[in-house]
Amino acid sequence: MPQPVSKRKALHEWKLYLFLVPALVLVCTFSYFPAISAIYHSFFRWSGGEAKEFIALENFTRALEDPVFWGGFLTIGILVVANLFKMIPAICLAVLIHRLRSDRWQYWYRVLVVLPMIVPGLVTLFIWKFFFNPNLGLLNSFLDASGMMPVLAFADRTLGWGGIFQEGIPTAWLGEPALIIPALIIWGFPWIGAVGVLIFLAGLQSIGTEVYEAADLDGVTAFQKFLHIELPLIMTQVRLMVVLMMIGTLQGYGLQFLLLGESGGPGGAGMVPGLWMFNRAFFAGEFGYACALGLFLFVVILGLTFINNKYIRVDK
Amino acid sequence: MSSLSQPVGARRLSDWPKHLGILLLLGLELLPFYMMMQISVKTNSEFLHNPWFPSWPTGWHWQNYADGLGLMLPFVANSVVVSVSATVGCLFFALLGAYFFARYKMPFSNILWPVFLVLMMLPGVANIVTLFALLKNLQLLNTLWALIILGIAGGQVFCIYVLRNFIEDIPKDLFEAAEMDGATHFAQLVNVVIPMSGPILGTLAILQFLGSWNDFLMPLIVLRDPELFTIGVGLIYLDGEYVKDWGKMMAAFFVASVPLIIIFLFTMKLFVRGLASGALKG
Repeated sequence: MPQPVSKRKALHEWKLYLFLVPALVLVCTFSYFPAISAIYHSFFRWSGGEAKEFIALENFTRALEDPVFWGGFLTIGILVVANLFKMIPAICLAVLIHRLRSDRWQYWYRVLVVLPMIVPGLVTLFIWKFFFNPNLGLLNSFLDASGMMPVLAFADRTLGWGGIFQEGIPTAWLGEPALIIPALIIWGFPWIGAVGVLIFLAGLQSIGTEVYEAADLDGVTAFQKFLHIELPLIMTQVRLMVVLMMIGTLQGYGLQFLLLGESGGPGGAGMVPGLWMFNRAFFAGEFGYACALGLFLFVVILGLTFINNKYIRVDK
Repeated sequence: MSSLSQPVGARRLSDWPKHLGILLLLGLELLPFYMMMQISVKTNSEFLHNPWFPSWPTGWHWQNYADGLGLMLPFVANSVVVSVSATVGCLFFALLGAYFFARYKMPFSNILWPVFLVLMMLPGVANIVTLFALLKNLQLLNTLWALIILGIAGGQVFCIYVLRNFIEDIPKDLFEAAEMDGATHFAQLVNVVIPMSGPILGTLAILQFLGSWNDFLMPLIVLRDPELFTIGVGLIYLDGEYVKDWGKMMAAFFVASVPLIIIFLFTMKLFVRGLASGALKG
């Protein structure tokens, strides 16, 4: 705990305040000022320069009726649900690694889990973009080679998907509006985030070997062990990851920007609220409107954070 | 049958399905990495002919790496400058700030602390729009300074939060002994705090470095001149220019990863720990 100091001592130690000055100045200039400036400028028609025109609530009323912006939340909703399922491989991997009897192997697998992090996230995204390439991309080669393309083409014909998958015609994963959300979901398969696995492993650590031995004596199956021993113990971590994932999905748009470009791909099928804000500011020059959009997004995320802190607080 | 009555060999054997499962999952996860490596030494026609498997080592097309290096090296150099400066600066100022809060309960520190803490909760999603205008007014657009300063500023809250807790746990006697010897606060920070906080500083440094290295949205709106591009913008730029030659692209991707690979080799343990604690940042 910090030591309490008397007034006189504090006066004597006034130089200590200088220690805080750089951090305080940085935070005020680059965190508080932009936030306040965003609130202020959301009432203006503003293109980022000196000139601005006060338009009261026009940006907000326009934002409320903006189909692209609110449609983006629907996309986010789909991605959040998909991301929930995409957590399963990481949980499975953590449980598998934890169940190994050899500590040495556990350590080396942990290193292997972290290994993909040495490739910048951006590079991984570009490699996936290349996988999605219709002519050269490996996703189409894989579907052709494994015989899944005819199956998809058959499903397309019978279920009436409108000719997205046709034999002999390369599927344009990032060029076909109906396939953009599937592509946004598929990328990164098998979706093992190093951070998630390490956090789940930390949660599993509290299970001693004697629990497993007792379970073995009772003849419990591997799946029952998972349901009754492991899952309850990592529920805290799972909840934490769900919250982080939801907040991350809501405010993230780098993925959509890199794979699809600033307009969210053909038909704007991959448009998300953050990307729309980015697009309005830096591609349409509507900075004032982008501020208003950003504020809506801010309120939604803040609400989520609040719910998180109130109801699913995680004690480290 | 209980596992206790099984011979040791049988217990070993029963781990094999788990190993297989793990290796399958990890293998799929590392597939992009494998693809990058094997395509990076192929010409386009070799790749079209044989997309999946590595070609024979004697036929490797090293020219891709010469080209990739030539393309990426300036970007990598810019990124190294930005990420290293941002990380060092961030930790330096955060140490100072954390020391202020951790050492004494100074007047007003109970008012100043929430100024930082609140930012842990507030999403900064809308800031990118007005940050651009701010940087423009500060004449920092199209400079690497903008990225360095934003990197330093962006890491303050989390680093001060973590370091404050750490410094508070350092025994008071150490500070008092230093004070007896007439050490200033800065000397106490350098001689008492820093030697004790190696691992935590390392963990924070890796997190800051990774964040800065992987960022591309801010560099994209800040930088205009290709000679200032960091790897993020550089790769976006290359993606538009060199779509045709995949071997060269993949070699460039690999070059962009080399600094992280070097860091990883030296700090594997910190890396593993840093990532887990970094998730709690949000």
